[in-house]
Amino acid sequence: MDVSHLAQTFGSLFVSIFVVATYTMKTMIPLRVFGILTNVLLIAIAIPTHHYPTLVLHGILLPLNVYRLHEMLQLVRDVKKSVNSDLSMDWLKPFMTRRSCRAGDVLFYKDEPAEEMFYIVSGRYRLVESGIELPVGALVGELGMLSPTHERTQTLECIEPGDVLSVTYTQVEELFVQNPEFGFYFLKLASARLFENIGKLEDKLAEQVYGGVGARPATA
Amino acid sequence: MNSIAESFRFLFSDLTGEDNGPLPAVPDGVPEALRPAVADAIAELNAYQGPSYAQLYAHRLNRFARRRDVDAELLGLIARQMARRMCYDDPIGIAQRHLAAVRCGTASEARHRFRLEELVGALPGKLGRPLLLGCAQVGWLHLPISLRFNGCGLWGRQRLRLQAGLRRWRRFSERYASERAWVERWLHMIDRSLTKAPAAAMAIAETATMVDGSGETYRRGLADWHLLIDGVVKPVLDGAMPLADLAGAVAEITTLSREGSSERVAETVRRLRKEAGHGT
Repeated sequence: MDVSHLAQTFGSLFVSIFVVATYTMKTMIPLRVFGILTNVLLIAIAIPTHHYPTLVLHGILLPLNVYRLHEMLQLVRDVKKSVNSDLSMDWLKPFMTRRSCRAGDVLFYKDEPAEEMFYIVSGRYRLVESGIELPVGALVGELGMLSPTHERTQTLECIEPGDVLSVTYTQVEELFVQNPEFGFYFLKLASARLFENIGKLEDKLAEQVYGGVGARPATA
Repeated sequence: MNSIAESFRFLFSDLTGEDNGPLPAVPDGVPEALRPAVADAIAELNAYQGPSYAQLYAHRLNRFARRRDVDAELLGLIARQMARRMCYDDPIGIAQRHLAAVRCGTASEARHRFRLEELVGALPGKLGRPLLLGCAQVGWLHLPISLRFNGCGLWGRQRLRLQAGLRRWRRFSERYASERAWVERWLHMIDRSLTKAPAAAMAIAETATMVDGSGETYRRGLADWHLLIDGVVKPVLDGAMPLADLAGAVAEITTLSREGSSERVAETVRRLRKEAGHGT
């Protein structure tokens, strides 16, 4: 048995360990990392042994795995950054679909089962029951995903034509399941936005009751 | 082994249209006298589409059953009309009805008229949407098409089975999405009238009777309904159009539409808007 044949046998055995390890991964980021390592090893073995189909296959899979890993890490970084800064949900935009709305179109009705969230890109939109107009850049329905009833609390109507971006709860849930770190920061972000809303409501209530935030009596 | 098979069934459930959810119970707030009718409606919707669709019906009905300002008469009307409108007449639904008649030993043969957009709209959205766009471009959307539903012969029954089997993919169709939006809008109008004009709630719930059947009858009823809601009900509820007797106006237009007089519907809407100083 010559040395090159021996190296090929041991190399294949070594790569097989990585292939098995890749398949045992439960979440997306480690799976991609092990996928990349396997691609690199198989390319390294395919060059000296002149296995060109293997070389071409893993030459294609390697950049694909690197790109998908980059996407996942970028998502986690963006959500993490958002939690620590302005609580923006802009990171969700690449996963959303654009939809045009005409004046009079209703995006959803009060009490309807909620299935997607919207990001307002342009146009004017009004919550019918409260009469509140939503500004461009507002995200609607992100808390509905976490609420147990999944029901809309108001009706959203388009009053001036424009565009919205939408993403279904299922799509966000898929991101959540694929990537626990994303899930953790998403929960933190959703809770922070909920507390922010409660804070605003408290201030509004204080304004109504005491005639101004500054006039609120000190509490223990 | 069984659980692995179940996992694979779940994985492909979107593709196969499988729906194994639990059948809903009659909502708690439904009065005793109405419960048998609601239970029948749930069973009918389960047969029409599946347990998730019956769940949607129960969920929608529950929104009104838990309200104090909704009496048994109004709730009964909503329950009946919603069940009727949710079992809309698409080619799949009609085939299901004929097949059910075959099972009951009352097989019959009938022709139903549709418009091309109804047939294409019943296909899964990914296939139906580009076809609808294509039909719209060549002006074929309103093309009348007559289909024969025959439960008497062997070949006819096989065709009915095949057509009725398409119900698995119905919830991915354009028609399903538009019917869903229609029911939500109708319920929204009832809900808003209960807050802003409670006397008109019954008449607004009754407007569902304007939309019925298939083909030209369906199109005309739907157009009349949208004209009534956009031209009268919504402006009044928005506070943009003063109208003393909303209930009377809605009831009058509903009757005119049921009599098949679309011109008089349009004329009455124009007259009411003019009287209220809201333009034409």
